[in-house]
Amino acid sequence: MNAIFAIAHKDLRLMFRDRGDVFFTFVFPVILAIFFGFVFGGNGKSSTIELALTVESDSRLAAGIAADLARDASFDVTRFDTRAQAVDAVRRGKASAAVILPASMQDGLDGIFAGKSIPIDAIVDPARRAEAGLIQGKLNELAFRQFPDMLTDGPQMTKFFAGARASLIQAEQLTPTQRLAISGLLAAGDTFTKSLGKSTATTTQPASTWSPIAVTVAELPARTGLPRSSFDVTFPQGTVWGLAGCIGAFASSIVLERSRGTLNRLRLAPIGRVHLLAGKGLACFTTALLVQALLVGLAVVGFGSSIAQPVMLLVACCAAAFAFSGLAMMLAGFCRTEAEANGAGRGAILILAMIGGGTIPLFFMPPLLKTLSFGSPFRWAIAAMEGPFWRDTPIAEQTTPLLVLLAIGVGGFVVGCRAIGRPFAG
Amino acid sequence: MLAIRDIHKRFGHTVAVDGLTLEVRAGEVFGLLGPNGAGKSTTIAITTGLLAPDSGTVDLFGLGSPTNPAVRMHLGLAPQEITLYDQLTARENLVFLARLSRVAAPRHRADELLELVELDARANDRVATFSGGMKRRLNLAAALVHDPKLVLLDEPTAGVDPQSRNRILDLVRQLAAAGKTIVYTTHYMEEAAKMCDRVGIVDHGRMLDAGTVSELIARHGGKSSVTIEREGTEHRVRTDDPVAEVARHFASGGVTAVRVERPDLETVFLALTGRSLRE
Ligand SMILES: Nc1ncnc2c1ncn2[C@@H]1O[C@H](COP(=O)(O)OP(=O)(O)OP(=O)(O)O)[C@@H](O)[C@H]1O
Ligand SMILES: [Mg+2]
Repeated sequence: MNAIFAIAHKDLRLMFRDRGDVFFTFVFPVILAIFFGFVFGGNGKSSTIELALTVESDSRLAAGIAADLARDASFDVTRFDTRAQAVDAVRRGKASAAVILPASMQDGLDGIFAGKSIPIDAIVDPARRAEAGLIQGKLNELAFRQFPDMLTDGPQMTKFFAGARASLIQAEQLTPTQRLAISGLLAAGDTFTKSLGKSTATTTQPASTWSPIAVTVAELPARTGLPRSSFDVTFPQGTVWGLAGCIGAFASSIVLERSRGTLNRLRLAPIGRVHLLAGKGLACFTTALLVQALLVGLAVVGFGSSIAQPVMLLVACCAAAFAFSGLAMMLAGFCRTEAEANGAGRGAILILAMIGGGTIPLFFMPPLLKTLSFGSPFRWAIAAMEGPFWRDTPIAEQTTPLLVLLAIGVGGFVVGCRAIGRPFAG
Repeated sequence: MLAIRDIHKRFGHTVAVDGLTLEVRAGEVFGLLGPNGAGKSTTIAITTGLLAPDSGTVDLFGLGSPTNPAVRMHLGLAPQEITLYDQLTARENLVFLARLSRVAAPRHRADELLELVELDARANDRVATFSGGMKRRLNLAAALVHDPKLVLLDEPTAGVDPQSRNRILDLVRQLAAAGKTIVYTTHYMEEAAKMCDRVGIVDHGRMLDAGTVSELIARHGGKSSVTIEREGTEHRVRTDDPVAEVARHFASGGVTAVRVERPDLETVFLALTGRSLRE
C-alpha cells in the first residue's frame, strides 16, 4: 500500500511540474468551458438584475413601487400578469428574481399602526442568491420612499388614523395613561395631516425591529431540470476535456519511465505490476477529481450554476475519474514508445471526446453521431455529471452511466495490467 | 555470492553474451573489463533478472535466481545510463526509491546517502540542474537505498570529470570497506587495476580469463621489455627479470638511458584478443 502511495505521490509531483500536462489538464478545459459557454449564448448576465414583476395590489403604494422599480437603473423589469408566470420566468432562467406586490398590501397599509406590515414577496433563483440581498434592500428602500407621498394622501391618512383609533380601543393591555397619551398623539397626527399642504417631509427607518415593510425572500427549489445557462452545459464538457488531459498526462507515464530507464528501477523494487498501475492510476484519479472540482467550483462560483444533487454529483465525479484512470492505465500498459503514447493516445482521446459530446453538446448532435456516442466513455461521463448537476434526473436513472463508467474503469485497469505484464514477468 | 554459469543471450543476429561463466566471492570488488559492445551491460542485466538469458543460470547468494523478489532485494544496481527523475530533487528521488523498497525511515536514509555521495548541499535541487558527475553519484546512491549486499556498478565513471571520478572511486572503496560485494564494469584498465580485487576480461560475450591483476599478468602478460640506450643506439630485450637485466647492462658501463616496460592489463588484453582495448 505504501508503495502505491509512493508512486502516486511521485507521479502527481511529476505531473504538476510538467507545464504541458498542467495546461492540458487544468487550464485548457477551463478555457474551453468558458469559451463555449459564451459561444452558446452565456446566461445573458449583465450588470442589471432581471426582475419579473407582478402587481396584484391596486394600491397607490404598489403602483409607486412598480414605477420606481421600472425607473431604477439596476433593474431590468418585465411585467407578468400572474404570480405563476413571474415565478416561471425565474425557473426558466429568464429573470433572476420574481417580485410580487400582493393584494394584501392594502391590508398591511391600513393596519400599519396596529403593528401590521406591508408584505412584498420576492422569489429568487438560488443561483442568484448573491443578488437576493440586493433585491431585498432595494425593495425596502423603494417602499419607504413611497411614504412622503402617502403622507400627502389625505384620504389614506385619515383612514390610517381612524384605523389606529379603532385598534386603540381594542388594545386592552394598555394602561389608561398610555391610552390617553396615544389618543392625543393620534389626534395631533390627524390634525397635522389635515393641515398639510405639499410636504417635504422624509421618513426615517423605524427604530424598533418591527418594520412597516415585510419583504419575504423565498428561493426557488434548485431542482429545475433545465440548464440555467449555457455554462451549465459547457462546464461538464470542460471536465471531460480535463479528464482527457489526465489521460494524456498519464497514458505516457509508463512509456516515460521506460525511456528514462526508471522503469528498471521500479521493476527491481519489491513491487508488482498491480502496484505500479494502482499507484499511477491513483495519481490519475486524484488529478481527475481535482480537475472536476476546479470546473464545478468555477461554474458555481463564477457562472451561476447550481448543483441539483451535490452528493450524486460527487459520486458521478468519482465514477468518471475512476473510468478515465482505468483508460489512462490501459493506454499506459499498451503503448511502447513515447510517439505511440502521445500521438495515438491523444488522437484517440480527441475523436472519442468529440463523438462523446466534448465539443458539441449531445442534444445538438445528429442521430448518427448520437448513436456513435454510446461507444465513447466521454458520453457516459457527461451523462453521469449532467444528471446530478442540472438535469436533476431521478437517481434510478443515473445508475446506468455510473455502472458503465465503473465497468470502463475496471476493464481499463485489468487490460492495462495484462498489457504491461511482460516487462514485469522476467 | 554470485555464480553465473554459461549464459547466452542474443538480440536478433547479435550475439551479446556467448557462454559466459563467472564467480564472484563475498566481499570482493570484481571488475568486468571489456571494450564497447563486449556484453558487460547485458551480463549485468541478466544478473539482476531484468533480462532473461537464452540459456544458462544465475545464482545469487546460493538462494537461486534473481527473478525471485526475495533474492533480488539483496542486490542494488547503478545502471550505465542515468536513471533518475529529472524533475524531482535529489532527495525526492532517493526518498521515493526508499519508500518503494519499504525502507523503515526513507527520509533519514535519503539524507544519509546524500551525505555519503556528497550531494547534501544540493539535496533540494532538481536533478535536471545537476552536472554529469553529480548525476552519476546520485545514480550510485540510488542503488544503495535498501542497503543491498551485492552492488552492481555499470560503468560508474562514464562521462565524468577527473574530480568526480576520484570521488566515485573513493566511494566504491568505502563500500568495499563496509563489506559490500561489488561488481564493477569498465573499459578503463587503470581503473580496473586500481579498484578491483579480481578482474574478468570480457570480449565478444565471453569471459576470456579472470583473476587478480598480477595473476592475469603472470598468465598472459609475457616478459617485461627493457630498452637500453648507449650513445645514440637503442637495444631492446624481453625478459622475465627486468631488474637483473638492467643491473647487467649497468655493470658493463656506457648506459645513457634505461626504459622498463612491465606488462599490464592492456598487454594481457592484447595477448588474449589480439586487439588493443583502446581500439
Ligand atoms: N536491447 C538490445 N537490442 C539489441 N541489441 C542489443 C541490446 N542490448 C545490447 N545489444 C547488443 O549486444 C551487444 C552487447 O551490448 P552490451 O551493452 O552488453 O555491451 P557493453 O559491454 O555494455 O558495452 P559498453 O561498454 O558500450 O557499455 C552489443 O553488440 C549491443 O549492440
Ligand atoms: Mg555497457
